[in-house]
Amino acid sequence: MKDKVLIANRGEIAIRIMEACEALGLEYVAVYTKEDEESLHVRLAKKKYRISDYRDMNDLLAVADEEKCTAIHPGYGFLSENYRFARRVVKRERPLIWIGPSWEAIRDLGNKLYMKKVAYQLGIPVIPGSIEPIYNEIEAELKAEEILELAQEEGFQEVSFLVKAVAGGGGMGIEEVKNLEEIRPVFRKLRAYAKRLFGDEGIIIEIKIPVFQHLEVQILGSKHDEYVHFGTRNCTIQSPFRQKRIELAPGFCENISYEFDPKKVEEEIIQHSLNLAKHFNYDSVGTFEWLVTPEGKYYLMEVNTRIQVENEISAKISFIKNKPVNLLKEQIKVAFGEKLGYSQRDIEFRGISLEFRLIAEDTKRGFIPLSGVITKFDYRDYPWLTIRTHVPKDKPYTIPTQFDPNLALAIIYGENFNDLMEKSKRFLNEVVIEGKTFKGEPLATNINFLKEKLSDVYKFLAV
Amino acid sequence: MLIELHKKLKDLLELAVYIKDIKGEDFSSIGNLYENLLEFYHNFYEIPPERISSLINDYEATLKKILLKAEETLNPYEIVKITRHPQRFTLLDILENVYDSYMELGGDGELNIDPAIICAKALISRRVGDEVYFHQVMVIGHEKGHGEEFRRGGSAAPWGNEKALRYMKMAETEGIPIHFYIFTPGAYPIEDYPGAAQQIARNLFYMSKLSVPTISFISEGGSGGAEAIGLTDLRLMAEKGYYSVISPEGAAAIEAKLKDGRPPRELVEKMAKALKLTAKDNLQLGTIDRIIPEPPLGARRKDYDFFKRLKYEMIKATDEVVLQTRSLKMFRKYALSKQTPESFSYFVNWELSEDEKEILIENRYKKYREMTRWAILEPKGFFKSIAQKGAQLGQSIAYEVKYRVLKSSHKTFKKFWEDLASESSLLLKPVSDPIKTVYNLIVGKKVRTKIRMPGEIESESDFYVSPLALQDKTVTCPQAEKYGCPDLWVPDLYGEFCGVCPNCGYHFPLEYHWYINNLFDKGSVKTFNDEISSGNPLNFEGYAEKLKKAREETGLNSALLSFEAKIGGISIVAVMLVADFRQGTVGVAEGEKFIRAIELAKISRRPFIALVHTTGGIRIHEGTMGVVQMPRCTMAVRDYVDSGGLYIVIYDNNSYAGPVASFLGSAPYQFALKSTRLGFAGPRVIFETTGQPVPPDYHSVENALKRGHIQGIWDRRELRKKLFFALLTMGGPNLYYR
Repeated sequence: MKDKVLIANRGEIAIRIMEACEALGLEYVAVYTKEDEESLHVRLAKKKYRISDYRDMNDLLAVADEEKCTAIHPGYGFLSENYRFARRVVKRERPLIWIGPSWEAIRDLGNKLYMKKVAYQLGIPVIPGSIEPIYNEIEAELKAEEILELAQEEGFQEVSFLVKAVAGGGGMGIEEVKNLEEIRPVFRKLRAYAKRLFGDEGIIIEIKIPVFQHLEVQILGSKHDEYVHFGTRNCTIQSPFRQKRIELAPGFCENISYEFDPKKVEEEIIQHSLNLAKHFNYDSVGTFEWLVTPEGKYYLMEVNTRIQVENEISAKISFIKNKPVNLLKEQIKVAFGEKLGYSQRDIEFRGISLEFRLIAEDTKRGFIPLSGVITKFDYRDYPWLTIRTHVPKDKPYTIPTQFDPNLALAIIYGENFNDLMEKSKRFLNEVVIEGKTFKGEPLATNINFLKEKLSDVYKFLAV
Repeated sequence: MLIELHKKLKDLLELAVYIKDIKGEDFSSIGNLYENLLEFYHNFYEIPPERISSLINDYEATLKKILLKAEETLNPYEIVKITRHPQRFTLLDILENVYDSYMELGGDGELNIDPAIICAKALISRRVGDEVYFHQVMVIGHEKGHGEEFRRGGSAAPWGNEKALRYMKMAETEGIPIHFYIFTPGAYPIEDYPGAAQQIARNLFYMSKLSVPTISFISEGGSGGAEAIGLTDLRLMAEKGYYSVISPEGAAAIEAKLKDGRPPRELVEKMAKALKLTAKDNLQLGTIDRIIPEPPLGARRKDYDFFKRLKYEMIKATDEVVLQTRSLKMFRKYALSKQTPESFSYFVNWELSEDEKEILIENRYKKYREMTRWAILEPKGFFKSIAQKGAQLGQSIAYEVKYRVLKSSHKTFKKFWEDLASESSLLLKPVSDPIKTVYNLIVGKKVRTKIRMPGEIESESDFYVSPLALQDKTVTCPQAEKYGCPDLWVPDLYGEFCGVCPNCGYHFPLEYHWYINNLFDKGSVKTFNDEISSGNPLNFEGYAEKLKKAREETGLNSALLSFEAKIGGISIVAVMLVADFRQGTVGVAEGEKFIRAIELAKISRRPFIALVHTTGGIRIHEGTMGVVQMPRCTMAVRDYVDSGGLYIVIYDNNSYAGPVASFLGSAPYQFALKSTRLGFAGPRVIFETTGQPVPPDYHSVENALKRGHIQGIWDRRELRKKLFFALLTMGGPNLYYR
């Protein structure tokens, strides 16, 4: 029987999955909701079903059964890191192949505290702080004192703490504390908040790393105990709400001087990432996020158990036996149980790549995502430029309000750093996004913000 | 002269109505006789006076014959009718005729806290030779009224029972005996504050250690309502009274599985017989102590001989209770035999000394502990029983040595150490609340070392998987319309979500094994007393088969599981009422198992937890044998709580009626899971009794919380964690780990 993939996502990632499926000769079914009828991924899909919500597991599985799908690709966001959905997909009476890591890996690595504990036990550096939830304030204060001593030993000056709810995430249930006296009141406040919001009172305390770069390692594992990496990425430039805006691969740049040996640090974080992946029998694409300080210290932050938005910049600089890489194709292949067919030695890295996220947002007024109608979306085609978008060029497009406001990804490839910067500037100057908000005002985008931030790439930034 | 005859005729007419009402129109053509009498009564002054006298005598003789015949053929359902008849004596008649003077407390007539309950301070006198002695007593009882609407037929409202409790306490303060008179078809089933079930439980809890002699007299004993003022040292019962777990009509409706409408009369009569509700039956069953004889077809408001007898019996009963605390058994018997209905040969002072009060309470406990024990089926040989007794004794001595002797010295040292530690910490580091600090640290440490918090990931094999979870399908949350919950995949719902909708928190019912397997430490659950089961003490038709079926289906011998277990390393004793076994109803076996479990918790100083998977009330097939489990178990609860233990009740699903109104409802700590329905009577009974439709959320946990029944609403997903914290933070000083 021929395999058929249900694409349980929208927008550009749905398009990329479709392309990957076609390249692999697989059939696929797309889904969409009412708001997305205009989206390119609906137009391009040969077979599609309208569902109520991309998060509705019952609808998705009903479509899968109706179309006799054999596998399901969750993309990123939505249900991609929902281990319950992954579990349900593989444990139902008519099981499907989950194109992603095993549900156990999603669950265990998705639980930040548990992941941190395991990493700590494996000797992987984690952000100094508690690795068990704290439930009472005396313990919290004692722990904070301990952490303070530890941080001072490590050479941090002016340490401040982050008090976090274990169950929180995405900026919720987290507060910065500057001195020890404030630990108790903040702890009490957060515990009450966490209990009300997440039903779990557990709190952890970590030190705040004041200046850092955000690096991540792209890992690929197969079901046959093979593990490779596709280098590192640098995602330090983010919106104030910790949303990535500019990503670069590789993670360190030859043209920049560091206080430490970047080659050594890169090798070490890759090795640690691989070790952790092996510990969890990780059998798909995954990203291990690290913080690197100007002194060359590095800490594991979290693991993303899915394909990343910015996966293509890693693919652009990687060559397997001199051939270009498509990580989505690799992900689908390993999900169907295929062997990799190559090893780390066959992977070469050449050049440098950058990704801009083009977003309709008001960068001057608190990065509020905007909605409206795009009347013109134009850019010049270059061999070094790849645009990933679901916004049609040929007719006006209304930005749906319920999803994240990403309009397009611009992926630029350069031979070296200076070449890349030049191409990037040229692209940002040429790209045109015009539109109107529903109030009739011109639609703001983050292009100017990206231009400004271009000078900050590969720098250590303070948050 | 003529007027007197007219009066006599009126009495005869009343008697005829009475007999007709009780025996029916067709009995010995009483209907015709009544018609004739009525005609006679209407034409009284037209009939020549000389004929009247003889006519009246004739009628009287006929009526007397019929009365005697009626008495001979009296059946249980007719007895029920007697107790309900407006002509039957009521509490006010007793107060007028038995006591020398009285004053109502808490209002009288319609101007009353609750006209269905009367509390009165009364004097009762006895003559010894030429001397007259007066005793002060508190009289508390139901007033049916002779057909007065506002008395609600003696159905006490929750605040009526609260009023009763208040005057019980007053009598206790003043050290005077209490006479209870029970004339109730049942408690008025409304949940308004303080809550029907809750107040009955509170009354029982308090009465079990009331330090004054208490005597109850039952004319109409309707289940829980009767027990609210029925836990006494001596229980007397009117010969033509009934005492039952449910009205025969109610039982018939349940047996016929009627949703509404009236059950057929034959079935009602059959039920009246099967429920063994008469005084004679109850005496045989051991649920009452003595029967007070009544004239044929029951005493009515003008039967002065009966009141005289009642007065004598009440005094004698009080004497007996008082003497039991004082003298040797031999002497007591002799002394009591000297008191005859005609005269008292000596005076007994009803005031008790402190020691006597203790004996009184001890006697009461023993009396209820022994009640209904004969009906328990327990396969046990002679040697085995001796061995068991020996083991029990050894165990209790061991615990005594361990905790009373060794633990106390250990405790003293620990306290000294804590003082020292907290003082030195004051010197080392200024902390606002040193005692709290130490305490929190201890608690904190325990949390870390002993319990695995839910944040931790446990391997798959650790989980008990509910058989409900083994289907690949989805269910719709019943509250989906209100909260927009997505459909739930069954394996998730009954697995990880513990049967709780993650969106709105709706709790789906789960089987009882889930609790046993998931609340306690792995492998720590050890059941005991599994073999105890109920026989069929009333020989209720069909009950033995129903019991057998339930046993086969569930593999259990009773609806109550009792077991020892551990939560986070803390050893506890627990019981669980299981829905699968006859809807978690309570009978003799369940009561006995409950008491044995809580007694074990007491001697081993462990916390005691009662989980209620579901309870449908007292099992009607065991009649009053079941009803007396309410006072029996509540006494054990009181004894345990007073000894410094920790008793926690957790309700789930449906928890109604008797158990909630006694040994569950009297717990100091009661919690309910979110979708519990909790109350005294079900919606149907409330509608039938009050005529008011019941709002759908009437029995919801939110309302139970508002009226103060429970201390909190818990989520099933964090039940284990909550229980563990409860064990650490609640309860008396006598727990073994304190």
